Amino acid sequence: MILLFVSLFSFSVNSNAKSITLGWAAWDPANALQELTKEFTAETGIDVNFEFVPWPNFADRMLNELNNKGKTFDLLIGDSQWIGAGAVYGHYVKLNDFFDKEGISMNDFSPATVYAYSTWPKGSENYYALPAMGDALAWAYRKDWFDRPELNSEFKKKHGYDLGVPANWNQLHDMCSFFQGREIDGQKRYGAAINTERGSEGITMGVTAAMYAWGMEYENPNKPYDMEGFFNSPQAVEAVEFYRKLYEDCAPPGHSDAYMVANLDAYKSGQVAFQMNWYAFWPGVSKEDSDGRVSGFFANPKQNVAAATLGGQGISVVKYSDKQDLALEYIKWFARPDIQQKWWDLGGYSCHNDVLNSPSFPTSTVYAQGFLDSMGIVKDFWQEPTFVELMLPMQEAIHDYVVNGKGTAKGALDKIIEEWVEVFEADGKL
Amino acid sequence: MSVKKKFKGLSDKAVAWLFIGPSVFLLLAINIYPLIYAIRMSFTNFYANKIGREPEFVGLKNYIKVLNKEAIWEKMQVTANFMFWTLLLQAVIGLGLALLLNRKFKGNELLTTLIVLPMMLSPAVVGVFWTYLYNPQVGLFNYVINFFHDFGSFDMIGSSVLAPWSIVIVDTWMWTPFTMLICLAGLRSVPNYLYEAAEVDRASKWQQFIYITLPSVLPFLLLALLFRGIENFKMFDMVVELTSGGPGSATELASINLKREAFEKWKTGYSSAFAVILFVTIFGFGNVYVKVMNKIKER
Repeated sequence: MILLFVSLFSFSVNSNAKSITLGWAAWDPANALQELTKEFTAETGIDVNFEFVPWPNFADRMLNELNNKGKTFDLLIGDSQWIGAGAVYGHYVKLNDFFDKEGISMNDFSPATVYAYSTWPKGSENYYALPAMGDALAWAYRKDWFDRPELNSEFKKKHGYDLGVPANWNQLHDMCSFFQGREIDGQKRYGAAINTERGSEGITMGVTAAMYAWGMEYENPNKPYDMEGFFNSPQAVEAVEFYRKLYEDCAPPGHSDAYMVANLDAYKSGQVAFQMNWYAFWPGVSKEDSDGRVSGFFANPKQNVAAATLGGQGISVVKYSDKQDLALEYIKWFARPDIQQKWWDLGGYSCHNDVLNSPSFPTSTVYAQGFLDSMGIVKDFWQEPTFVELMLPMQEAIHDYVVNGKGTAKGALDKIIEEWVEVFEADGKL
Repeated sequence: MSVKKKFKGLSDKAVAWLFIGPSVFLLLAINIYPLIYAIRMSFTNFYANKIGREPEFVGLKNYIKVLNKEAIWEKMQVTANFMFWTLLLQAVIGLGLALLLNRKFKGNELLTTLIVLPMMLSPAVVGVFWTYLYNPQVGLFNYVINFFHDFGSFDMIGSSVLAPWSIVIVDTWMWTPFTMLICLAGLRSVPNYLYEAAEVDRASKWQQFIYITLPSVLPFLLLALLFRGIENFKMFDMVVELTSGGPGSATELASINLKREAFEKWKTGYSSAFAVILFVTIFGFGNVYVKVMNKIKER
């Protein structure tokens, strides 16, 4: 009896001590990670609990937790923009010593992802995360509609070239507007489901896909935080105007506050010919189209330059965790090339060079080549510790111009700079 | 025995304090202390997310900044607009429904139950399902409107002209039953002999309404509007779920903006000043309103 009690007690103590909690957003890759992690538990005996937060509340929930020095999470897969705050405010454990000790080299990971997800200050060799999930904003299109000869000939007659992967944003607009309001198989269809969400980061992630392609820079490369003439350059203004045109001419009715799931729903329900979304969603889209007949995928089209909006996240150990050693053990396991290969196979986007440089990688899925192309041209929003303060005015001003139709693109960008200057001044950067 | 003795020895005053003590303590801990703390913070440049950075005293800087910010006045205008229309519609429709339900007819109780259902729902849930009702492609709202007159496709949430009305409609739908219930209580408290006397004096139905019903129900209606006014001044959840304050900032109420400044931008000092200004505003309006209401009651 006593033995039974002791063994039960030790089991409960053991199970508490040998478990960690990982926080991430609630989406398809999180389910894939949960599946992959079973192997970690089998190998090490460490249970991993998951807390997945829906995207609209993800930043609020996680950043509040970090600011309150919460111990809920031992591991956090945080957005790329959080790395500055994670490092500067001491939320994340610096991983350099651990990497050195365990022989984990950042040279084994794609440079763009290391730069974006792991380092602070940017480009330094101070690592606060292991690249976990590579991602970029891309496009999916209804290949089955494009393949219809009658639609293609009508399009060609109008625009002088074939329906297909658009070479630039002008072609994207031509194609999207071609499908806008068109009846196909007895149903009214629309052009494109693009990001217009107001509350978190949606419209900013969308409009920057255009702005980067037009060649926008956030700041003077020779004078940090000098934004005048860069962020509101004529090219940037043109890109924002174009995005509004795309919204007005090609978005389905009611698509005024839409982001990931809304875009996905519009596409899956057959409303639109194109959807803008993260690569993270392509395994799901592709899974329902096993012969590749319905959907095609392509990287963000170029305009003046080739560029794409960066998504994705790194995995960090939370400084306030009491189980940092177990959390580090998870990172050590996750960094292994064989685990990274399984991660990709399950639908996660590995950033490991062994996976990405494998000769079979580009043809492993229909979107793999696009992913490789995109990761070579990604650009990210500010990763400053004050990134939320920087994000909110952009959300408001861009939504006001693009969706609300208020003011001018130049006015919106000027207003954003004004707010950003205030933020940088308060942060002592200006 | 000894406990009994102890209580026997307590004065009336001590017993009174024993009863009100816990409430006073909770009030001080949950309401008064945070209020004083917020007032103190409003004079500093404190950022709650900047760990290790000591707040500095900045005097009235935050208050000046809030009052001089054009965007803040836009939010206040949006809030005032929302309050004016919701209170007006809820007063008129609520009173009308109360007058209707004050009559005896078959199904009266069932109808009353159905009408009060919306106010029992969670505002966040209401916000979410109205986004579906407003959907221009599949939403019931557009279908019903177009059934009566073909306006074509219109987007209640995506249009800066229609979005403010979209939140007014939802709030009115949800909270008119509250106004109705309070008015109904008022109507049922009017003694019948007043109407009988009016009949004897050959007063018309309209005169009975103007000189008996309305004065009797007015204090109740004003009380309902006071509650609704305070609630709508701090309206947050339903609007966030429905429009996120958009398009742009067309439906960004003061409370939504305050939350964004305080818990997304983490401008604690600045947002404390903004909160104090909002508190003084609603407190001032509330006091004036209660005084007016008391005067009406006295008449």
